[in-house]
Amino acid sequence: MIPLFGQAPNPIVRWEYFIDEWDQIQRALIEHLELTVYAVTLGLVVSAGLSAIALRFRRTAAPINGVTAFLYTIPSVALFGILVPYFGLSRLSAVLPLAAYTLLILVTNIVAGFNSVSPEVREAADGMGMTPARRILHVELPLAMPYIVTGLRIAVVSTVGLVTVAAIIGQGGLGRLILDGLRRAFWTPMTIGAVLSILLALALDGLILGAGKWLTPWAQRGRSAL
Amino acid sequence: MTSLNLNIEEGSIVVLIGPSGCGKTTTLRMINRLIEPTSGRIEINGKDVTHGPVAELRREIGYVIQQVGLFPHQTIAGNIATVPKMLGWEKQRVSDRIDELADLVGLEPSLLDRYPDELSGGQQQRVGVARALAADPPVLLMDEPFGAVDPIVRTRLQDELLELQARVGKTIVLVTHDIDEALKVADRIALLNVGGILEQYSPADELLAEPANQFVEEFVGEDRSVKRLQLRTVADIPFHRGPVVAATDGVATARSIMREYSSEWVGVTSQNVFLGWVHGEDLQDGLPLESAPRSVPAAQVQPGSTLRNAMQIIMTSHTSAAVIDNGGLFGGVVTLELIRASLEAETGP
Amino acid sequence: MLLGQAPVPRDIGVFEWLFDPNSWTGPDGILVSLANTVILCAVVVVVAIVTMVPLASWLAHTRRGEVSVSWTVTLSRAIPTFAVAGLLVPISLRSGWGFEPWPIFIALLLLALPPIFLNTYTAIQQVDPGVVDASRAMGYSETSVLVRVELALATSVMLAGVRVAAVTVVATEPIRAFLGGDGLGRYVRDGLGQNNDALVIAGAMLIAGLAGLTALSFRLVERFALPDGVRRLATTTTR
Repeated sequence: MIPLFGQAPNPIVRWEYFIDEWDQIQRALIEHLELTVYAVTLGLVVSAGLSAIALRFRRTAAPINGVTAFLYTIPSVALFGILVPYFGLSRLSAVLPLAAYTLLILVTNIVAGFNSVSPEVREAADGMGMTPARRILHVELPLAMPYIVTGLRIAVVSTVGLVTVAAIIGQGGLGRLILDGLRRAFWTPMTIGAVLSILLALALDGLILGAGKWLTPWAQRGRSAL
Repeated sequence: MTSLNLNIEEGSIVVLIGPSGCGKTTTLRMINRLIEPTSGRIEINGKDVTHGPVAELRREIGYVIQQVGLFPHQTIAGNIATVPKMLGWEKQRVSDRIDELADLVGLEPSLLDRYPDELSGGQQQRVGVARALAADPPVLLMDEPFGAVDPIVRTRLQDELLELQARVGKTIVLVTHDIDEALKVADRIALLNVGGILEQYSPADELLAEPANQFVEEFVGEDRSVKRLQLRTVADIPFHRGPVVAATDGVATARSIMREYSSEWVGVTSQNVFLGWVHGEDLQDGLPLESAPRSVPAAQVQPGSTLRNAMQIIMTSHTSAAVIDNGGLFGGVVTLELIRASLEAETGP
Repeated sequence: MLLGQAPVPRDIGVFEWLFDPNSWTGPDGILVSLANTVILCAVVVVVAIVTMVPLASWLAHTRRGEVSVSWTVTLSRAIPTFAVAGLLVPISLRSGWGFEPWPIFIALLLLALPPIFLNTYTAIQQVDPGVVDASRAMGYSETSVLVRVELALATSVMLAGVRVAAVTVVATEPIRAFLGGDGLGRYVRDGLGQNNDALVIAGAMLIAGLAGLTALSFRLVERFALPDGVRRLATTTTR
């Protein structure tokens, strides 16, 4: 059977490791979090811009979708690898591909969100004397929020997963623990790295989900039939 | 669209109506410049608003559309407060105004904290009107506002609109495709033909009584005389006593009145309260009129009943006359002949 | 520090290496690695098809399992494949199964299951109930209805699902090289280890090339191998 804990020479988890190397674990966790946040933020900013273009100039929607989809299909190992000769084993080599992978889901969802606003709501807003800026900010954006939040959840969760892969170029946060453990034939860090990254993904997902619900009180109650 | 010239009196309800493609909605939306006119001027209260900042203009004009367009992400109160907030009103003033409007449009206060999707179609329409009136604009534009609700609710909303107008006296421009709705609510009707040609611009009764051309005639329908009957009430007819006597007048007077009117029946009142109709055969000399067998209940109408209703009631009564019940007292008699005569009189106000 | 040094890439080296026949042959050659990759990915996809298609079609046909669909969607996004594979290595070793190929196999399998399940499920679900009823009325047995009618009509959408699964698996397989395995990822791994930029770039190009080729092949099959009527029914449910 599989002894999960205990003093056997090479258990799955050696708990002393957990306590001794807590510093290292903490650092890996923080690095993981930082990379995720940088990548998603960059991705969000670029996506916002691309979405604005796609919404304003309808004909650019298909090409933009094509480009973001194409980026998404490039295998992660390949993309991380290609950047290394140009940017070295740096954070940039990790953040750029990670951000690129979020573009597809974020642009798709932002555009879908704004497209979900009924035309009569827009007409009513204009008719009441809202400037376009006010209408977009106060009416369309809140109504697009559910879609945007969903997109963010997916982007964050998949980025957390991909950050572990970035360990291959030395920027992996918790992924480094995994690789480290593999190299040293020491399983504890592998397990911890893996479990923590899964937990981190779930935690961030829940966090964004909660924030989303807080931001959209009108979408929360069940629809009442009258 | 061809050019259009329209003068709308302050405090009146003008209805734009016409077949598809006549540009009634386009015209309406040119007033608040959702569609910019290619040439010409729009003047409100003498001020030229054709150019200049458009958002400011629209905040002074109320706008109600068929699907309402309530903001799903805000409560009813939030929706209504939209324009006042844009104009910078303080919280208390906004809150008071919301309560005032809820009362004005007939909205229960408990609904104010709900979201639009929790309300019925009729309630949503009322919110739309409240929202349009929130900043107390002098002008209100309505584009087929009652088209999306069922006929029963629609009738009620139309009545409420008229009551509302009696209280606040806005200048209202309303677009509809329903001629009956137009006839019911309008002070003046602008009938447009395809291409934006104004065929006639006059009060409802005049439109029916004196259509300007064949297009108008066909549009209002062949039953326009009957439609006119809906526009007038019993009170419009001059008082006509008819074959009715007081109980104290006696049988002889009764008989002579019946001869005068060539009527088989005579009506009997006591202290100016109508008691019923008595058939000539049941009159007995020497007996008081009160004791004669009477036919009740009599066909009755109110002063506020439309002539059309009166006509319907008369047709089903065997005395060919309806008694006007003026708060319990005898108010005269209505016959088909009287109704017909009133149509021939000058067209209404 | 976000920026590192930017060494000059040695492109000449990349293409020289790629076109050198020696790079392709031999136990460490490209052909062997390619074979390793393709074999693993193919097995993963086949297992996914064999398990998910019957399950999904049965669920869709009998109109159950609405809940399982939304579950699958949520879960499939949350799987950090590298972490899962990493977690499985110690477990696999402890069980005496070695660190290849089970951890990576299972991790890749988890990636392949959702798209195939989802596409099959929705494809069967979207089949026009009128056609299903008509075939029942004509006397087909339930199994016949399922196989001859529903599955036939659903093929193009299902094929799209298989395509998505295959491309995802091929694109993710390179991490195997970093977990002690072989496959096309090894060149990026070796290149990084030896500081050989040309090797890294070449490896990246091979990986991307295979992924693109996989996508293209499937699209060609979808386009040409299906009867026209069936093909026009297709709307891809996943990307």
